[in-house]
Amino acid sequence: MPEPSKLSGYTLLLFGTLSLLLSTFYEHSILAFIGLGLTFWGALLLYIRSENYVKRNLLNSTTLPTLENLNQILTELGYQGNAIYLPPKYFKDPETSKIFISKRKSTNLPTPEEIRQEEDKILLKNAEGALIIPPGLSLSKLFEKTLGTSFTKVDLEYLQQNLPKLFIEDLEIAENLEIQTKPSKTAKKINDSASVIQVKYNIIHVKITNSVYKDMCKEARKLPRICGDIGCPICSAIACSIAKASGKPVTIEKTESTEDAKAIEVYYRIIEE
Amino acid sequence: MNFPLSFWDISLWLAVTAIILLITSELISPYYGQTNILINKKRLKNAALTMGILFLITVAIRIYEIITSP
Repeated sequence: MPEPSKLSGYTLLLFGTLSLLLSTFYEHSILAFIGLGLTFWGALLLYIRSENYVKRNLLNSTTLPTLENLNQILTELGYQGNAIYLPPKYFKDPETSKIFISKRKSTNLPTPEEIRQEEDKILLKNAEGALIIPPGLSLSKLFEKTLGTSFTKVDLEYLQQNLPKLFIEDLEIAENLEIQTKPSKTAKKINDSASVIQVKYNIIHVKITNSVYKDMCKEARKLPRICGDIGCPICSAIACSIAKASGKPVTIEKTESTEDAKAIEVYYRIIEE
Repeated sequence: MNFPLSFWDISLWLAVTAIILLITSELISPYYGQTNILINKKRLKNAALTMGILFLITVAIRIYEIITSP
């Protein structure tokens, strides 16, 4: 049996066409207007379909256990380093991004060659750390698919311009999204008399308002390795996007949110290699 | 046996329909926090814009007629 909206669409279309035919036969303008209206709304009902949605609490129930697992594994392994989102140049696949967590807090970031040698493993021997798939990797790939581009081909300005529309209008993830880059000026000396000032974007501040993940964010606050380090799926997806667009490693510096998690503020730091 | 509506009747109908659709499309926009309406908003926006453009084409035809009439 067809869906009710489809059935009413076809019915309106049928009556509209009939009314248009009769209006032509009797040369009756009111009947023609009725016919036009019915045909139009019938076609509109068939064209504008309802979308499939899932309830927000289903989203939390399916994702939270995975995050809790990840938090527990990292805590038990005793990996002390901060989560670093590595850009695709560290991997053979140019479209991937992974998180590197070093065993000790003060370990230097491994080189792309070191990572590439063991990129299929989770626990690395050479680099002494763990290489895990970010919780928001699929979400960042969905961003790319919706925008019809790869973030490896764009820059940070592109993200700044396009992510708000993507979050609000296309994917309806949040009510508002603001991305601000905080430049840091570094002077590069060319010779004794001249120097060039380069503007680098080191800190990226993202404010997400009323996101569909706000309940998950509230729950994720209890997980120390997730909130503010690896990040919940939405923060992680943005980190993946920034790492890909900048081509540099990225860390989540700080996460702040209101009590009801309606406004989430995340500070990302781009690491200069 | 003739179709009873003239070109200008259709133009008026297009204008009214376009206004209704454009206003609806704007009111249910996610930019105003309306994320609970389960219809394909992109398609509604496309339909509204198409109707608007069709109306503007009829206006352009009217202007052309006024300019070229002796």
